[in-house]
Amino acid sequence: MNELITIFLGLVLINNFVLVRFLGLCPFFGVSKKLGSAVSMGIAVTLVMTLASIATWVIRHYILTPFNIEYMNIIIYILVIATLVQITELFIKRTNLALYNAFGIYLPLITVNCAVLGVTLIEAAENYSLLGSVAAALGGGLGFTLVLAMMSGIREKLEMANSPKAMKGVPIAFLTAMLLGLAFLGFGGII
Amino acid sequence: MAPIIGVLAAIGLACGLIIYLVYIKVPQKVKGLEKTEELNAILPGMNCGACGYPGCFAYAQALTADPELITKKPCATVLQDSESLERLEKALGITLDAAAMLKKALIHCNGNSETIYHYSGVDTCKAAAQLLSGYKKCPYACLGLGDCVKVCPENAIFIDPEKNVAIVDTEKCTGCGLCVAECPQNLIELVPAGTKVAFLCNYKPIRDIPGREKCDFGCIHCRKCFKACEYEAIDWNKETALPEFDQEKCTLCLKCIEVCPQNTLADFTKARKEAELVPA
Repeated sequence: MNELITIFLGLVLINNFVLVRFLGLCPFFGVSKKLGSAVSMGIAVTLVMTLASIATWVIRHYILTPFNIEYMNIIIYILVIATLVQITELFIKRTNLALYNAFGIYLPLITVNCAVLGVTLIEAAENYSLLGSVAAALGGGLGFTLVLAMMSGIREKLEMANSPKAMKGVPIAFLTAMLLGLAFLGFGGII
Repeated sequence: MAPIIGVLAAIGLACGLIIYLVYIKVPQKVKGLEKTEELNAILPGMNCGACGYPGCFAYAQALTADPELITKKPCATVLQDSESLERLEKALGITLDAAAMLKKALIHCNGNSETIYHYSGVDTCKAAAQLLSGYKKCPYACLGLGDCVKVCPENAIFIDPEKNVAIVDTEKCTGCGLCVAECPQNLIELVPAGTKVAFLCNYKPIRDIPGREKCDFGCIHCRKCFKACEYEAIDWNKETALPEFDQEKCTLCLKCIEVCPQNTLADFTKARKEAELVPA
């Protein structure tokens, strides 16, 4: 149990995907203009990460390791993640339309999100158990959502702020990201 | 080696099979979504976003909720295609006046303004426009770096290689309006597709005479077009000192284009095509 909490907290705060590992930077700047869309993007990423972690754990454990082909993991994981996203999208679209509309265009976008591939590869490298993989995926997703929500909250306020003309929009977002990254560096020694 | 390839191929096939199984097993006809699926099948499906919705499916959902929406936020691509427009009208149960709604992009510049300094920065109009409103003598001129070309989903805009100005191929243009927001000089306007004479100058300050100070082809407010028109189709706007065209009265006699000493006017009905400018 202790180990799971360590994995979870480690990925939420200390090894945060966006600010410390620099994965998933595209949605970090692309989808962080509004709080609402940032949160739905974060939830979609968390969902896909968890599903992908379980699926890749099964494949790693029962196929890749017995056949001794762990070096092919990137290509297989991408295939598995793409399949999962397709299935999830089809399923949600035909069963729960309200949820599908809430996810909107973000769900298919996640197919190629490097944070999702990143979490599966990190699990493979650290050789986590199934529960550990789920904890890592939930932690990674929650960390991603947290950072996106913080960033979008700050950017919503920055829109109103009287910043210099040349700094408006993306430049000041980059500076904000730098300060956020520095702040997250402070979590470094917790565990 | 062979078993490894077999395993990899098996994983790939299994993934494909699972998607197929889910596709046929999950109930296809969703309750309350039949209409949306029907509309979605008629829409072009290229998800250009010109209607203001994230993709055609979202637009179809909005249309299902409110069929009248098509008059306010029309799908520019469907308006071009009479067959799918007819099907969409039937599906929505309303009739539309397609000719009145159809728009075309018009770039209000003929690109003859002199270059005043050599620009070697980032290859986009937005960056160039930040430096002294661009590198042309006229601060309202088309910079010809092609931000509108990049955004056009129909490849309807191209750059005239001689004048270095963006030109719209009116046959390909669907009037989606994506280029209007893209132009940092605000040169592009959506005009009714039936527009006959195009005014190719965007110079704003009324105290200057653009044709003399900024550009060899700018309007000099000489009112010759206004006087030449026999059908009272041109009205002189005293506030802006520019001609205003009444497209209904215009008979396309082209007298105004003939008398214009600056060649600021052009025949909009003549489709300007890439092929005319760049011989094959």
